[in-house]
Amino acid sequence: MSKKNIVLKSSNGIIFEVEEAVALQSETIPYMIEDDCANDTIPLANVTGDILALVIEYCKKHVVVADGDGGGSSSSSQEDLKNWDAQFMNDLDQSKIFNLLLAADFLNIKTLFDLTCQFVADTMIKGKSVEEVRRTLNIEKDYTSEEEAKARQENEWAFK
Amino acid sequence: MDGFALCLDDYTMSSRVRAAKKQSSKGLSLVTSLPEDVIVDILARVPRCDYPTISLVSKHFRALVASPELYARRSFSGNVVDRLFILRRKTNGNSSRLVLIPLLSSLRCFGGYVTVGSMIYVFGGIHNDNSTPWALTIDCRSHTVQPLTSMPVHMYNLTANIIDGRIYVIGILDYIHRKKMMVVFNTETQKWEEPAMVTPDIELGNTHRGCVVMAGKLYTRNYQTSFVYDPKENKWETDEMLSSKNWYHACVVDDVLYYYDCDDKCLRRYDPRQRCWGVVKGVEKLLAMTRDTWWSRTIHPSFI
Repeated sequence: MSKKNIVLKSSNGIIFEVEEAVALQSETIPYMIEDDCANDTIPLANVTGDILALVIEYCKKHVVVADGDGGGSSSSSQEDLKNWDAQFMNDLDQSKIFNLLLAADFLNIKTLFDLTCQFVADTMIKGKSVEEVRRTLNIEKDYTSEEEAKARQENEWAFK
Repeated sequence: MDGFALCLDDYTMSSRVRAAKKQSSKGLSLVTSLPEDVIVDILARVPRCDYPTISLVSKHFRALVASPELYARRSFSGNVVDRLFILRRKTNGNSSRLVLIPLLSSLRCFGGYVTVGSMIYVFGGIHNDNSTPWALTIDCRSHTVQPLTSMPVHMYNLTANIIDGRIYVIGILDYIHRKKMMVVFNTETQKWEEPAMVTPDIELGNTHRGCVVMAGKLYTRNYQTSFVYDPKENKWETDEMLSSKNWYHACVVDDVLYYYDCDDKCLRRYDPRQRCWGVVKGVEKLLAMTRDTWWSRTIHPSFI
């Protein structure tokens, strides 16, 4: 049985041809195929080429290949995948991480969405001080000194 | 048609994403330009102990940490750990901190709790949506949990208190007949007393508002009526004067009951020896600073 390919087009016009099994990890793409939102090429108007390349790299690594018994098995062991995921995320800068998160949300790729959300939570928020979180996420302080003091007072029980 | 609707949703999403990207190009925070539900998804994956810190990052984060959506998302993603904490006061200061008790992650509330010195006795509770007959102690010094002999019966809606080393645990046997039952645990022998169950010879009704002990007697109430139990005579009676006020979440200091009346915004007291109600004077300014809530509780100073 020959493998069917799907053509994806990024917002900046870059074309990616991928195996159907790779593309169908997105729960959004099947609807775009079925409902004539796309003909031969599926346009992804809100995913740029560099981010789509990352999404495809992830999906290729995580594609589940059908085995001879009709069941499914991952092309890599769970442990290998976990290590690969960690390395994959570590190599990205913050802008790419957030755009990848948006792409995973839009394309509805649950495992990639979970991975990126968890990475943001673990590396940018968890266990950090208020100032560290603000600096890491480039969030401006919008509390007045009085408001911050009041909020700290309300939270005082938790800061000891 | 379902597919069409989904495509429309996708276009809505794409415009939302474009707006986010436009904002980020101005040098604004990338995370705050994410759709709100995605930020909630991220925060739901951060341990709850970080939430007080997160709430100080910005007003937006503070609102998100306080939002019910965040807790709904945590439970939806299975990222929920029910935890029991003890509030500790440092001996060298007046600051307090919460200490996590491991091993109790699967036990939910609705059990009966009694403190005896530095030990907390826990009876029953909900585990995997079923009532349990579990009994255990938490040592507040070492933060360790020790199991006790399970309760002789499964009971729901437990309330408990201690008189002379005996813990009286009251609950209902089943939701259909709502029959009230009482079991007694002896803290000296660490055993359940015989007979295993005592059926109160009075209709107690729904006593979920807890029970207190004054002068060696146990007091509890349902919506209309207050009851007193004398363990020496194994006798239940109603207390008409105590019933005249809608007391709840009360505490007892020197055999006098105190509770916060949120309707009249005052601290009421009841002395069972004189069988009369009074209002505590001199705390009006303090009470004015508290929020009016039905959930206000009075707590004995030794527990703070």
